[in-house]
Amino acid sequence: MTDPRKWIATRVRLGWALLAAGGLAAYFARWATSATPYNFRIIIVLGTLLMASGVGLLVRFSAGLKDEASARRIMANVRDERTVMIRMRAGNRAFWMSSVLVYAGLMWTSYAAKGDLPVLSQDALWDFLAAAVVVPLAVYIGSMLIDERTT
Amino acid sequence: MKNRLAQLRGANDWTQQELADRVEVSRQTIISLESGRYNPSILLAFRLAGIFKVQIEDLFLYSEENQDD
Repeated sequence: MTDPRKWIATRVRLGWALLAAGGLAAYFARWATSATPYNFRIIIVLGTLLMASGVGLLVRFSAGLKDEASARRIMANVRDERTVMIRMRAGNRAFWMSSVLVYAGLMWTSYAAKGDLPVLSQDALWDFLAAAVVVPLAVYIGSMLIDERTT
Repeated sequence: MKNRLAQLRGANDWTQQELADRVEVSRQTIISLESGRYNPSILLAFRLAGIFKVQIEDLFLYSEENQDD
């Protein structure tokens, strides 16, 4: 059986690692030159996401370092079968939303290439791709919030 | 599916958190089980029955009307 305190300690270490990796990515991206063909804003966003994930892990699991009972309770909450089911259901809905958006984008691009639809500008494409990331995430979070109340 | 979880928990004088700790689930899961909103996996059902020292069918009351739950 898994030792709860070791399990918590591993997640806390992962939290610190993500925080450090995110900080490094964001820091180096700031100093990168704009002459390179990459959009370094993406790396800053990635760095920020990594840092946020790290902070999330630290906030969630640090309380479990206090004692065995706290660690066991936090581990039970994370592994809880109802929570896992809610997460899986939310992931499934987010996956379908993502598939629909990507498929719609593919169809649009195909018809635009034929001249049946207007070609997307760089800005419109960026907005669409950003939506393809954000909307499934919103569906995931919304689904979890609803299922937490109704299941 | 109806169950006697709240009744048996009360008879043992346990809080929802104490029961949750014993079967290693979240308190919210115990709340959902007691209100009948959530049906447990067979493993959790066995664990709960074991904790209360009863048979599963004495804890969870299945009827044909429940089959869509």
